Amino acid sequence: MSAIVIENLGRNFVTTTGTIRRTQKTVTALDNVSLTVEPGELFGLLGPNGAGKTTLTRILSTVLLPTSGRAEVLGLDVVRDTKQLRPRIGMVYGGERGLYWRLSGRDNIQYFADLYLVPPEVSRKRIPELLELVGLTDRAEERVEGYSRGMKQRLHIARGLINDPDVLFLDEPTIGLDPIAARELRTVIADLHKAGKTIFLTSHYMYEVDALCQRVAVVNKGQIVMMDTPAALKQLVANLEVVEVECLSVSPEAMSRLRAHPRVEAVHVDNRDQIQVLQIQAPGGVGYVPEFLQLLDGASIQKVVTRQPTLEDAYVKLLGKDAISV
Amino acid sequence: MISHLLGLLRVVAASFKMQAKERATNQFFIGTLLITPIIFTLLSVGSYIYAGKTNFGLYAVIGAGMIGIWNANLWTSGRIIEGERRGGTLSMLIAAPTPFPVVLVGKSLSNAAASLISMAMTFATGLIVFRLPVDIANPFAFIVSLLLTLAAMTSFGLVLGSFFVLTRNAGAFIEVTNYPIFILSGLMFPLTILPLWLRPLSATLAPMWGNLALGTAAGLVAGNPWLIDLYLIGLSLVYLMIARPLFAKIEHRVRQDGSLEVF
Repeated sequence: MSAIVIENLGRNFVTTTGTIRRTQKTVTALDNVSLTVEPGELFGLLGPNGAGKTTLTRILSTVLLPTSGRAEVLGLDVVRDTKQLRPRIGMVYGGERGLYWRLSGRDNIQYFADLYLVPPEVSRKRIPELLELVGLTDRAEERVEGYSRGMKQRLHIARGLINDPDVLFLDEPTIGLDPIAARELRTVIADLHKAGKTIFLTSHYMYEVDALCQRVAVVNKGQIVMMDTPAALKQLVANLEVVEVECLSVSPEAMSRLRAHPRVEAVHVDNRDQIQVLQIQAPGGVGYVPEFLQLLDGASIQKVVTRQPTLEDAYVKLLGKDAISV
Repeated sequence: MISHLLGLLRVVAASFKMQAKERATNQFFIGTLLITPIIFTLLSVGSYIYAGKTNFGLYAVIGAGMIGIWNANLWTSGRIIEGERRGGTLSMLIAAPTPFPVVLVGKSLSNAAASLISMAMTFATGLIVFRLPVDIANPFAFIVSLLLTLAAMTSFGLVLGSFFVLTRNAGAFIEVTNYPIFILSGLMFPLTILPLWLRPLSATLAPMWGNLALGTAAGLVAGNPWLIDLYLIGLSLVYLMIARPLFAKIEHRVRQDGSLEVF
């Protein structure tokens, strides 16, 4: 039996605008999504902001109802069988919310142990183990308000594991963390996977999904664009070379000229402070570097690098201009 | 079955303790618990004394104490749910295997226990400022009535708490309802000055019956306090019976609207 089965799942949100003349608008967050996740699998859901990743996680963790379709976790319907399902799943949302800041880290985990009806003899043993797992043993008695962002996120993980869930939902767990904290958290996630947990991870960091997940679904505007292994996704761009151009002051006209070049398949612009990094995907791109630079006439070129494509490039190719928001 | 019940009782105890810890770090709540009852006692008893109705002193003290209980219990419950929503913990509580009303019972009982401090503060203010003797006709009935009042207020809190989950403005809602409830329950003025058509509404409110039970036990109102206590028990049960299906409907609604994390 699959750990997660999703069939034609849809979710609409109705938003209202105006004070006196109120008009309603329906926004589609998920559109006909279908996927399965096998037991023990670390499955990644990758997509830009607003793609529907969080909505899907909320539905699977029984916080939200779908508008159409069905979803089962551990063979239990997420709409009807919440009483049986909730004790068997754990959820970890990204960000600093979801904790009691005025209580200590240990108090937070203890409270959720009670809420999840974990027997006291079990929680007495499990809480120190979880604090150790996430590296918070020494700071466990301090109030959460004094924790760094990374510590709060690790506490979230410990809280999500208090009921020893069969399936763990991690919704952008490394968002906003510094690189070291994010790396530590990824190590924790990898360890959990090795321990046999089924993990459903959402992220908009390509390298995170590439490093951790066995399979990945790319989602955009509520729809799954592609679903496969990270290696298969990379195959999408296997024949391409990527030319990275670091430059200043690229005009829209120059960008249009570049995109119109017959060899160019996609251009992703990554704004880093005042520098723009253009990632130009083109078969045999190395041979066309002089032409590309000529098309960027007027821009101040800082650095040019050619490299082999990564999962990020596959993602850019799949999402086109929507990938810019990542 | 028994282990499940024990588990739920542990949740009540854990929520009670958790609420007490949070309260201990919240200066605003400490102010509500200690300062509000003093202000209400000064205003309420002072008004009666100014009007030359000194025999209403103890009545005013009990009314002010009930206002303190209301503030500490229900007003704070509204603020708690609003705080949980803002803090992102409300969706965690709803998605936990424990039914949310069980969590609310623990939190409300914790506030109810703390609200006894409010009642003590009103009596102390009456005694120190106005030299009002604590002259309770039937102390045992008074204590029982006080405990049953707290139970009824907690049950009432469960009904209101369910609505608070629905709205993103729980604090504002309870703010608006404060004075109408005080007046309809006879906590500020005797119910006899209210128009007759409003009285049936008063009869549905736990604070009104709590106030009456305490007044009767204190010997301020003619009647049998034990009969009113029975009514308080019945009222608590009715609130509980309403709260359970009401919350199931509200949980479904917030999952449908996706409003649990909107604030």
